[in-house]
This record gives sequence, structure tokens and C-alpha cells, in this order.
Amino acid sequence: MASPCEVLIETGDKDLASRIGLRARDEALRIDRKFSRYRNDSLIQAINTSRGRPRRVDAETARLLDYGAALCKLSEGRFDLTSGVLRQAWSFDEGPIAAHPEKIPTLLERIGWQRVTWQPPMLTLPEGMEIDLGGIGKEYAVDLVADWAALQTDSPVLVNFGGDLRCTGRPPQGGAWRVGIESIDQAGEAARRIELKAGALATSGDAKRHIEIDGVRYGHIFDARTGWPARGAPRSITVAAPTCSQAGSYSTLAMLQGEGAEAFLKTESVQHWILR
Amino acid sequence: MQLKKPIGASLAAATCGLLGALPAAPAAAQDAKDWDIESSLLYYGEDNDRVKDVSLDVAIRRALDEDRSFSINLTVDSLTGATPNGAVPTNDVQVFTGASGGKGYIVEPGEVPLDPTFLDTRIAASANWQQGLGEASRWNVGVSVSDEYDYFHAGANARFEHDFNLRITTAYLGIAYGQDDIKPVGGAPIGLTPMVALMDNGGGADEEPGDNDGYRDGGTSLSKDVTDLLVGVTQILSRRSLLELSYSYGKSDGYLTEPYKLLSVVDPVTGIPVPGPDGAPFLYLYEKRPDQRTKQSVFAEWRHAFDRDSMAVNFRYMTDDWDVTSETAEVRYRWNINERSYLEPHLRYYTQTAAEFYRTVLFADERLPRFASADYRLADLDAYTVGAKYGHLTDHGEFTVRLEYYQQDSNPSPGSAVGELANHELILPMSAAILQFGYRFKF
Repeated sequence: MASPCEVLIETGDKDLASRIGLRARDEALRIDRKFSRYRNDSLIQAINTSRGRPRRVDAETARLLDYGAALCKLSEGRFDLTSGVLRQAWSFDEGPIAAHPEKIPTLLERIGWQRVTWQPPMLTLPEGMEIDLGGIGKEYAVDLVADWAALQTDSPVLVNFGGDLRCTGRPPQGGAWRVGIESIDQAGEAARRIELKAGALATSGDAKRHIEIDGVRYGHIFDARTGWPARGAPRSITVAAPTCSQAGSYSTLAMLQGEGAEAFLKTESVQHWILR
Repeated sequence: MQLKKPIGASLAAATCGLLGALPAAPAAAQDAKDWDIESSLLYYGEDNDRVKDVSLDVAIRRALDEDRSFSINLTVDSLTGATPNGAVPTNDVQVFTGASGGKGYIVEPGEVPLDPTFLDTRIAASANWQQGLGEASRWNVGVSVSDEYDYFHAGANARFEHDFNLRITTAYLGIAYGQDDIKPVGGAPIGLTPMVALMDNGGGADEEPGDNDGYRDGGTSLSKDVTDLLVGVTQILSRRSLLELSYSYGKSDGYLTEPYKLLSVVDPVTGIPVPGPDGAPFLYLYEKRPDQRTKQSVFAEWRHAFDRDSMAVNFRYMTDDWDVTSETAEVRYRWNINERSYLEPHLRYYTQTAAEFYRTVLFADERLPRFASADYRLADLDAYTVGAKYGHLTDHGEFTVRLEYYQQDSNPSPGSAVGELANHELILPMSAAILQFGYRFKF
């Protein structure tokens, strides 16, 4: 998950706490291992190196692909599971620059869910294309752990994987979980504080990974149609929704709306907090 | 470019496909409420037209983050009514000069003399800053001021807390310092000198103080300073129980006398006050207390949470170098009627021994003691409070009503009821009602 993961449980039952903690750890590791594009032994890596041959996928992967396909459609192509190759054109290590903008037109030919043949359970990925579930895997893991915890106990539980989180059970003592949205200016400081009683919060945005070209700020999520991040995107978008997957999708899709992020979330009538 | 239509329903359907089901409850999130406002209106009324206090209090607390907060507290009191002036009843009419040094007042035969000129408005303000110091420590510093027409207080306080044993034990250390300026109207009387019967010579506000009438110079400002130290520990005993123990030490230095309180000087056989100077019918002396007082007290409180309700029991033992020792026992039970309402009955018992220099009367044939006071609050007394608080939580805050009854009985110093005094009640028992409305909300 490449970020700190934690589970908070308010209970006097030590066994319960350690059961939920272990389950959270196991699920986080399992999903990371299965879907990380950074691991040679991951399923995603196997798909990405299938060289255009059809590959049968398991039911869980199928559900994630379906979900990614739905997001692609709902975002009218802005979000795409195959847009990961764009990282070859962009560098966040050498400063906020488009390292190789000349590569973008070629890379765009390797992007687009419409080029993929997805007939569950068979997936055919054209050679040179890659799938990246990183945009939805973490939120999915949070939901899995939270759903499981909700079956185990009515005690207050908060599952927090790198700032994407969901709570289950009763509200904790004090009435609500207090969640800080990290400041875009000072790492580690809370810019806003939110009281969460039920549901999930997900944040899209990274203070360290914004892009500014000729005084115009770009988000860190690439629009699969252009190969560029959305123009005028906020630096941080936090959304509340019943599940972490929904909250994460809203915040990602809002980020892809760039200047229109606020208008999009307003139309969707979802609770949100934006830092620009 | 905007998407054509809202995606909520489609996204929910896709999520349902991913997770199998969606939670029944919608998300519930809101901006953290950093402001906490607590306001209350209190009425305190003693029987027999004695002291009445209407007090308005507002406490504002602002959390800056998880670690830091500041608070401001403002109080306005409006006090009216009469207080016992220390003199004892007689079979004759008694005449006194007023507390204000101005208007006098007349007390009917057999009545306990009450000074009716007691009227004051008090304004108090305090500010506190609280801050975490690492994971396990916190400190808190504050300042306070209060002002009345004849009294000004300024103080500062600091407190440090540290958690041990995975926060099972918390130790704290507090210190407070206060400086009070007392400006009795018409000047502070010299202790144990006779009150001058101003009524007889037509005196009043224009009476010149400072001659041989028992007054010091009119504008004299007297002061006292009070230092308090507190050390304590709270210990979590179990998931449901908590014990708090503390020790406090307090030292007052300076003018500790009540400038408007008197003592009757009576004949040791008849119990009738002896005549005063300059043809005054009776002799009254101004009281005088030592200019230092050191108090020590220990306090223990046990708090316990039951399945639905909770209770707290505490006990305090205090002793000082004026020979006053007191014991206080208190119990509160919080009955959580439902999710939104609770009723909290409260019972408190207080008992104290008299100060070493407490005297209901002075006798004409005795040598004048170094210190003497007939203030009933320094007498041997017992008091109890019984009452209850009702609280109701609304969507926006908490509303409370508290109603309490207070009863106090003081005993005269032994051997006071000589002669005709045996026929009088020397100290009136006092009862008071307390009604308080509170509203607390956050935003």
C-alpha cells in the first residue's frame, strides 16, 4: 500500500482487537501482493506481461476490473485502468515537470479500456498495454476489512490505510472519529478536522506531487484522454461516502475535473472538503 | 467540462458489484466543532431576605488542534440582600452604621442583626491556555481577575499533568497565586475597636473617617495574597472505576478580616450588651482575624461506571492553623434515562469545627483577646445540600436544569447563652435554594 495502515478499535476485548488487527494486516498484504504493479510476482504483473494472449482471471480480480471499467465509463474516459504507462512521460522525482512530453502521443496509443477485450472471466490485454489497479485497490482493501470487522463486532472500528478510511460499528466515545485532512503547506499538520460518525472518507491529492507549468497548476492524476493532468485541479479533495471505494472514486473523478472539481461534487451532492 | 449527469446511482451499483453489498447507513461526517460554548444562569437565594445572587456565566473554549486549546470565562454576579453582621439579638432596638459607612439600620428587639446594605455587582474574567507536551504530558496556564466595588482580585495559575503506565496513572501538580486588594468603603476599621454610633450624631457618608472613631484613613487599600499548591494522582482501577487522590496546601497572607463584621460585648451575667462610648446604647467591636492562614486538605474521589449509569463519591478533609477542621462528603449518581436525557441526584454533607478565635459574644469583664470574630461562617457548623440536575441532549447541544436545597446550622460558641441571650436564637439557621439553567453547544 506504500503508506502507513492502521486499525483503531475501541474495545476491552483484547482477542477481538488482535483478530481485527491481524485480519487487516493480512488483507492489506494480500491485496498488495496480488495487485501491485511494482511486484514481479503479482497477478497484475502476470497480466501486464501476457503479450496479447487471453488470460483467465479470478472472481475478485474480475470484480475490480468491472469496477474500473464502470469508472472509465462514468468519467467519460478520463479515468482508465490502462493509463499507468503515462508515468513514463512524467517525472515526480526530478521536480514537477513533464519529463518527456514528446512521448505522450505514442503512449496514448497504448491507453484506453475500449482496446481491451474483457469477457469475464477472460481478459485480453493488447501487447504494450498495462493495467494498474492502484487507483482503486487501497480503498477496496479498506472496505474489505471494514465489512469483515462489522460482522465481528458492534464496537467502534476505524480502518485507515494511508488516509483512506472507513468506520464501522457504534460511534466511538466522544461521539465521532476525529480525522484530520493534511495541510497542503505543512506536512503532518491538519488543515481541517472532520468528525466521522459513519461511512468513509477518502482523499485524493498529494502536496508533494503537484505539477505546475507556466504558472498553471495541474493535479497528479492523469486524464487518460490527453495524457495530461487536469488543468486547475485542487491540491487536495476529500469526500465522504458510505464506502471507501465510493469516496475514493468521487475524489479521483473530481480531481480529473480540474477546475470543475467543486461543481462536479456539488452536482453529485456528496460531502466534500477541498484545499486549493 | 462537466459530466453530463450525476453518477451517484451508477457508482453505487458498481460498488455493490465490487463489495457484494453496500452498508445500510449513509456516511455521517461533519467539520469538527472547534468552539465549545457553555453558558449558565444561576439563581441563589437564602431565606429571610438574606443574600440573593443572580449570576451569568459564559465559558468559551476553542480547540486549535488535538493538542492545544484556549478558554475564556466571563461571569457577572449581582448580589443583594442582608447578611448577619455578627452582633447578637437583644430585648431592645439596636442601631448600626451601615456596611457602606453611610446609611445606618435599625434592628428590632429579639431579631438577629442583619446588615441590609449588602449590594454588589461582581465581574470576573479568566483565560486559560492548554497544551500537550509530547504524548504523555500536558500543561495549562491561566490568569484571572475579578472586580467588585470594594474588592479586586488578580491571579495566575499553572498546572502540569503527566501520564504513566500506559495512561493508567496520571499525576498532576498545580500552583496558583492570587493577589486581592480590599478597599472597605469609609476605610478599614481597626480590629477590636468600638463601632461608632453614627446615627446618633447625624453621621453619614460625609462623616470624616480617620479621627478617633475606630477607622483608619479612608482610602487605605489593604491586600492579601493567597498561594495554593496542589498535587494529585488519578488512577484507573478497572475498566469501570477511577480513583483520584490529591493534597493541597494553601497559604493566605495579609488582610483576612471582614471589615464590616462586628461582635457584641455583653454583660457576663445579664447577657445585655454593655453601653458603648460617647453615649452609644451598646458596645460593638469590629472583628479582627490573624493576618495569616495556612490550610491543608486531602481529597479522594471514586468514580464508577455501571452498565447504564455512573456515580461519583468524594471526601475531603481540611485542617488549618485557625483550628478549623472540616469534612465534606459528596455523592452524585447519574441516571441515564435514555440516550438523550439524564437525571443526576446530588447529596453533600459538610461539617466544620469553629475557628479558635470564633466568639459569638465577648464578655465585658474579660481581657480583650488578640483576635475575635463572630462571623457565623467560622462557627461550629453543619450543612447539607440535596438536589438534582436534569440534562437533555439536543442535536445541537446540551440543556441542563439544576435545583438544589442547602441547609446550614451553626452553633454559638460554648457559654455564650448567658442571661437574656438564652431566650434568643443567637445564630439563625440558614437555608438557600439554587436554581441553575445551563446550555452548552459546539460549533
